[in-house]
Amino acid sequence: MIDFYHVTKRFDRYSIALHDVTFHADKGEFVFLTGPSGAGKSTILKLILRQLLPSEGQIVVNGRNLATLKRAQLPLFRREIGMVFQDFKLIERMTIFENLSFVMTVLGVPPRDHKKKAYAVLRAVNLHHRLNAYPPQLSGGEQQRVAIARALINDPYLIIADEPTGNLDPDLSADVMQIFIEANLRGSTVLLATHDREMIRRTGRRVVHLEKGRVGEERPQQAPEVPDSPSTFMQWGSL
Amino acid sequence: MAGARRRRDATPDAGERPLGVYGYFVHEALRRLWVYRRTSMVAVGMIAIALLTLGTFLLISGNLNRAVDRWQGRSQLSVFLDRDATPAQIAGVREFLTREPSLAKFEFVSREAAYEKFKRHFAQLAPVLAELEQNPFPPSFEVQVTSRDAASAPFTTLLARLRVVDGVDDVQLDWEWVARLRRIANVLSIVGLVAGGILAVAAAFTIANVIRLTMFLYREEIDIMRLVGAKETTIRGPFLLEGFFQGMCGGLLAVGMLYGIFRGARALATGPSSALLWDFLFSEFLPWPTSLALVAGGILAGLFGSWISLRESSEESAG
Ligand SMILES: Nc1ncnc2c1ncn2[C@@H]1O[C@H](COP(=O)(O)OP(=O)(O)OP(=O)(O)O)[C@@H](O)[C@H]1O
Ligand SMILES: [Mg+2]
Repeated sequence: MIDFYHVTKRFDRYSIALHDVTFHADKGEFVFLTGPSGAGKSTILKLILRQLLPSEGQIVVNGRNLATLKRAQLPLFRREIGMVFQDFKLIERMTIFENLSFVMTVLGVPPRDHKKKAYAVLRAVNLHHRLNAYPPQLSGGEQQRVAIARALINDPYLIIADEPTGNLDPDLSADVMQIFIEANLRGSTVLLATHDREMIRRTGRRVVHLEKGRVGEERPQQAPEVPDSPSTFMQWGSL
Repeated sequence: MAGARRRRDATPDAGERPLGVYGYFVHEALRRLWVYRRTSMVAVGMIAIALLTLGTFLLISGNLNRAVDRWQGRSQLSVFLDRDATPAQIAGVREFLTREPSLAKFEFVSREAAYEKFKRHFAQLAPVLAELEQNPFPPSFEVQVTSRDAASAPFTTLLARLRVVDGVDDVQLDWEWVARLRRIANVLSIVGLVAGGILAVAAAFTIANVIRLTMFLYREEIDIMRLVGAKETTIRGPFLLEGFFQGMCGGLLAVGMLYGIFRGARALATGPSSALLWDFLFSEFLPWPTSLALVAGGILAGLFGSWISLRESSEESAG
């Protein structure tokens, strides 16, 4: 699903964000991307979404070589990916519902389904009562959950999330992680950047470790704690 | 995987989608016009001024042309005699005219008839006439000439010969000044087109700046749109529509103002101070295709303006 071959990313002559990065994530896999601040996690996610182009190396996402992806193909390519941005990237002048509705318009969801879908995804992140609030009226954690809801709204087959639990307390983090796990169970490939070791340990999935722009060892985790019962979060996914 | 894939495989452009996107276009464009209404008003005003200028010239030259058209069918040659021409001289001129086939359709207008005719046509000037001690009008022959004859070369020599007939003071072929009026009308149209065109281009650039400003204010939002997979057309649609609406409002405003000016001029024309020229310069409003064309011109200028700013805008995706 995701292949990085010897990818180097330089922003300018002196700062190398990624150095000869090679890694692979399979279709349907759930992979953590971890490493200290400044290691290059966000850079990798931006390269996948083709927000950035690599200085060297090749990136293949879902069978498409991003170097040869034409500008006109970019929107369709991006619509297949649900991205949770580290800075949320919500449109401040739109209500939460309008934020979701706009994305659904772009994704081609029929307008008459917008209300239903928006309510369902917001319910999954427990924010269905804030449908008509504006992003600045929400706390950081709430905005983050809206960003997650937006990324998941149309069952993308690749979900990339940049610190999706960065602003959440442990309980909420666990709930949110559950949402990603369920999306993964429904077939989405998930790549999740975080430096929350506790979370990685509890979830028990493969980890790609970054250190100063280089890939360190990939540590397979101990037996995962698979959720034993389908939670209420499952419901919206069946829409 | 299957569930996720199946939903994805449905063609993204199929079915209901246009409604959503176009609804978004219209909603967004109108909303931005409202939010930035002051800036938009400047753009609309610029367009309106450009089109009003053009429209005024077109209105005047159109009426001038219409007036000329009315005359040209019956071109007239006026042979003015000396004011104290003797009956013998008058008979001599009559004989000359009768001999020439191209001048054979004529009518004698005596001094008294000329005076009455003038009084009839320019009732307002009657007091001025009354103050004159004597009838200022000379006797004349009014000769009906066909435009074809009037335009021919031998006709000019014929007129030269007529001019020197005993008792003839002056010969005026109104075809000459009809042609002159026609030229003036054409010059007016061209001046209007050039001035209106220059102003319209200026207006288009104003609109371009307004839209550039909007795009700048919305750059973050535009980046987000690109990142969630919005096509460039989806991003640009509202901006193009914004220019379209501004141009349309400018065009409608211009036609409305021109109509106001026209009504005002008509009101003046029926007053006692009216002059003949004024009367026919404002005899009719622009025909509706021309009015529509003015609005269309506004729309084009608006679209052109937004097109310039969109073309300039970087297509680089958000970084
Ligand atoms: N646009 C940019 N211009 C210059 N340098 C950049 C740019 N973006 C990132 N960098 C540099 O690249 C390196 C990696 O940044 P990146 O954002 O990928 O780190 P990160 O692992 O996501 O960190 P964090 O955990 O703090 O989010 C950093 O040293 C950063 O300063
Ligand atoms: Mg980061």
